[in-house]
Amino acid sequence: MSISQASVGSGALSHVYIHHPALRCNIPESRGLFYDDANRLLICTTSSQVFSWETSPFNPDVPPSVDSINEGPILSIRFSLDKKAIAVQRSDCEVQLFNRETKKILNHKCKAGSESILGFFWSDSPLCDLAIVKTSGMDLFACDSMLNSLRLVETKKANVNWYTYTHETRLVLLASGLQCKTFNGFQLSTAGVVRLPRFEMTMARSESNSKPILSAGDLHLVTVYGRIYCLQVDREAMLLHLYRFYRDAVVQQGSLPIYSSKLSVNVVDNLLLVHQIDAKVVIIYDLFVDSRAPVSAPLPLLWRGYQGSDTSSQAANKEIESSESSTSNENIVMYEDGWTFLVPDLILDQTNKVLWKIHLDLEAISASSSDRTSLLEFLQRRKLEANKAKQLCLGIARATILERRPATQVTQAIDVLVTAYSYSVKAGTYKEIKNEKATASTPTAGASPDNERHRPSGSNIDEDVEMNLSSGSKENMFCADEQQESQLSSPAVSPDELYKFVFASVEEMMVEESEYLVAIITEFLRSISAEKLKVDLNIYVMTIRLLAYSKRFAELSLFTTNKIIEPSKEVAFQLLESGRQNQNIKVRKLGLDMLRQLSLHHDYISSLVQDGYYLEALRYAQKHKVTSVRSSLFLEAAFASNDLQHLAAILRVLSELIPGFKETSEYYTFYGLLNDTSSSVAV
Amino acid sequence: MASMSSGDESLRLCMFDLRRGQTEGQELEKILFFYPADLDFSTQLSVIGLSEGLITFTRLFSPEAACEVIEAERHSHVFYEAEPDIWMVMVVEKNKETGAIWRIDALRRVLKEVHSLFVMFHGSIRALIEKEPTGGLTRSLLYPFITDYLSTFQIWSLSEDCCCEFFVGKKLQLPTFRETLRERGTVQMLTLARDTAVEVQSLVQVLDSCAGSLRCHSMILFQDLLVSTTLSADDTVDLFTFAVMRLTSKALSSDTSSWSYLRKGPGSSEISSRSNLAPVGSIDSLHSRNGNNMHHVIRPLQNDKWTKGKDGFLITDIWGLETGGSPDSAIPTIWLQQTQERMYLLAYQHKSLTLLLLMPTNAIVNGDLSISAVKQQVIEDASLRILKIEENISRGWGGENAYHIKGYRYLVVDNDTKVSRSSPSGKVTTLAKESLLALNKLREEVDSEKSRAKGQEKDMEICIRAKNNVWVIARVTRGKELYMALEKGSDTLLDTTDAVGRFSNRYCSGAFLMD
Repeated sequence: MSISQASVGSGALSHVYIHHPALRCNIPESRGLFYDDANRLLICTTSSQVFSWETSPFNPDVPPSVDSINEGPILSIRFSLDKKAIAVQRSDCEVQLFNRETKKILNHKCKAGSESILGFFWSDSPLCDLAIVKTSGMDLFACDSMLNSLRLVETKKANVNWYTYTHETRLVLLASGLQCKTFNGFQLSTAGVVRLPRFEMTMARSESNSKPILSAGDLHLVTVYGRIYCLQVDREAMLLHLYRFYRDAVVQQGSLPIYSSKLSVNVVDNLLLVHQIDAKVVIIYDLFVDSRAPVSAPLPLLWRGYQGSDTSSQAANKEIESSESSTSNENIVMYEDGWTFLVPDLILDQTNKVLWKIHLDLEAISASSSDRTSLLEFLQRRKLEANKAKQLCLGIARATILERRPATQVTQAIDVLVTAYSYSVKAGTYKEIKNEKATASTPTAGASPDNERHRPSGSNIDEDVEMNLSSGSKENMFCADEQQESQLSSPAVSPDELYKFVFASVEEMMVEESEYLVAIITEFLRSISAEKLKVDLNIYVMTIRLLAYSKRFAELSLFTTNKIIEPSKEVAFQLLESGRQNQNIKVRKLGLDMLRQLSLHHDYISSLVQDGYYLEALRYAQKHKVTSVRSSLFLEAAFASNDLQHLAAILRVLSELIPGFKETSEYYTFYGLLNDTSSSVAV
Repeated sequence: MASMSSGDESLRLCMFDLRRGQTEGQELEKILFFYPADLDFSTQLSVIGLSEGLITFTRLFSPEAACEVIEAERHSHVFYEAEPDIWMVMVVEKNKETGAIWRIDALRRVLKEVHSLFVMFHGSIRALIEKEPTGGLTRSLLYPFITDYLSTFQIWSLSEDCCCEFFVGKKLQLPTFRETLRERGTVQMLTLARDTAVEVQSLVQVLDSCAGSLRCHSMILFQDLLVSTTLSADDTVDLFTFAVMRLTSKALSSDTSSWSYLRKGPGSSEISSRSNLAPVGSIDSLHSRNGNNMHHVIRPLQNDKWTKGKDGFLITDIWGLETGGSPDSAIPTIWLQQTQERMYLLAYQHKSLTLLLLMPTNAIVNGDLSISAVKQQVIEDASLRILKIEENISRGWGGENAYHIKGYRYLVVDNDTKVSRSSPSGKVTTLAKESLLALNKLREEVDSEKSRAKGQEKDMEICIRAKNNVWVIARVTRGKELYMALEKGSDTLLDTTDAVGRFSNRYCSGAFLMD
């Protein structure tokens, strides 16, 4: 148990933070605070009014909407999924439904005495609209939004001690048995109601051999990477057990150690945050990998103050508040008793009547990680702050190169990025940019993925669940949506961006170490080629530059002839240029050959003439009927070489090649020159 | 087949230094090498004296490039100035009947090749002479080296009764007109698919960094074809030649097979031992003359001396046994022409793939590097990739006749990169003798044109219809050469140039523009 208090000082290192300002419900005479997870509403009730705030997207300044309801006790309250009705549990035997427009009221009562209502939730399954969980089981009702009637469609009989439900998972778990560790589960998804096999959770026995009893607060339903997990606190064993839900099975998948008897969880960006409340620290787990090791060291949750919009960890030292202090206008006490942790990513402070959204500090996490390969993999899985993750990835890639890490390490890093990109293209998360490219034909630099990400969130969750249900595979059958709203963005780095923001940006600094850079680019190209991706041709131009700089002409030749460097006009010109700079005729010829192969007749002929091969150039022009090259080029070259026979021949060929050439002044000039110098050469 | 036994006068090969033995009675000092070694000194001196005289005479007119060739009635004298004032002369007997028809430049390339190889292993001859002015060291190195080299031209006569006399059982076969569609001193490359090429280059980067921060050089061969190199074109040619001669999977397997075949016959093992002893004996005679008999002579070209070790690295005892002296002294070393660096040579083989790794010797002497560490590194970092690449290449490899192009018998030479490609020899043999002779003649013409151009790039296009209706074609343009024989009697000149044009566009990326 290595949790020390050392890090909870004013040093204020943290990976997870809440951020000022919070959503504040300063409603006088408020009697209760509720959270409606299906609609993501924070609900504050007074004796006769209901105030509700949208929490998604999280905006502290959002005004509440107000509804009036009849006075009376409110045990729980939830808006219907179309938000046209409000359901209120009045007592353990009565649920009242209000239509928000017509103010129509519908009452539902259960048999008093024999059973009592534990709670209720709205459902979007085709079978029913409202589910009421009672000690005797679960009743499923259909009702229309006008609240004309509430019709019982099905009853799931069971002895229920308590239950837990989240709209995100559409999963209801009904606890029964003496220890409350036997569960009946149902998923009420758009595809219908699926019954889970009955299962038991593991509970270690205490020393006194008394059997501990599981409570609803010990159970957390979370969704990570589209998989549904149930986390169960086992206080005796000090373990957090993980159960994963498949279509036909519930499988325990390891356990996490816990360091606090009070525990809560959040999920942010598919990462599991386990709050060790007694120790006042958060531990981050990434359940994507098989390893159950935490992503980073346990650090306290931090409250960040007024420093404005900048949420970067660079501001860590500027933070006016550390986790322990409470001097601000808001009387924040970290992990105080009044806190309720709302899955996925909210904290409701009942005492202060404020709602916090939890944020991850990706920069801090990456700064504290030394294994860059797994860090990059980690960052590539981030979706919430995709752009930041992407920038961090680029920064890490740059740093690994600039620090001259061994090529194998850099290779791994590049492989991670390229594979992730390839995957995201295949998965369609990178699609938008690709389309844009297709229309714009040239890769545009400014094509930021974030511009297009903010789509109306809508009900894509439903579609996804349905899809997952219809695919009969065991894997991921119970699948809530991974892509939650505004999370369409992907941190994937395209090869072009890798070139632009990594290779091109380090080239100048590393020109003396071009061999190292070439080794890395080779690996990059290998990675690209293995994934069958394309890359900006500038990387080829750069490769030539670097190879020529380090005088590795043999390799330059192999790269070119084997088409590792894909032929293009720009590449050919770089070869010509590098050949000229190094006075290496072989490299120049590679460039010429490439121009010819690309059928860039005009450039090929001009370059040939430049190199003094004017006869060959003219022959080529004649063969391919190229007339765009200035005729004076040939004539001047021949005249400069002092070969009158050539000059005469060129005049003759040009007169055949270019119609009307004999009428041009050029013809007269050179014809005159020819006759002046030697009358013996016949034209 | 053009062949000759050493007993007659069909081949003389000598190397001499014009700066030595200029006073009377000291003439023998000039001789650095003479083949056959058992020829009496007066004959040796007469050959060298004639050559020297011709060189001195022709230098009057052309100081830069003296005598290249003398055509006598019965012999051709081929001259090659290997290093300043160090000349190699080859005298070959002309014999139309035995098919001993040569192209002079092809013979000169033999001289050039053996010299380049010698320099690669031992450094320049001039440097050796300067190091040890008696010339004893130089001779003791040259004799076995060139003899070993010439043995690659030996073909074995299988008749039993020839065993009595040294070298009689073997025949030397120099490159004749039948090899006119070959170019000595060039490498043959394997064409790779792009993804394989990327994998190969990635492997090259791994190999290059196998010695930590010290950059190594590497060369990779698949069978007898070059896959990749980081060396300059000249160094590549030399190392490639050596590898094909002694190191590649083919060279290793052909060694064992030919030897085992020979050993079937009685007394043949005696031949091998004798043939190995004979040149050494002649060295001894020279040694005693020069009073230097101490040196352990390394014979890098010695045949049948390389085997594949368990770890995949090729091992040889040519450079000594690893047990004796410092652990790295037994590692082969070579000199690089371009950088004048001495390098350790490590060879690794997996099936048909041979990898040569070169590391600067001084780094190891300084203790920055240990060979065994490098070997370990190669096995750790590269062996998986090597496995994969070998598989990839083997899968895509079209076999012996991969570069056969139907209807064409061709040779393409790129003088810039020193790369050539030609029709497979099995296909070339289907050409009529007349066709080959015509092409040989044409090449000879082109050679002389080229030598007249003195390094200037010539542009030539020659199409000739020979007696047997074959078209022989030479096209030289900007450092690239194409030679071709088309045995389709009915074709017109237009058809022929069209055919060449098609070939050029399809297989040479249009390098040879035909009018």
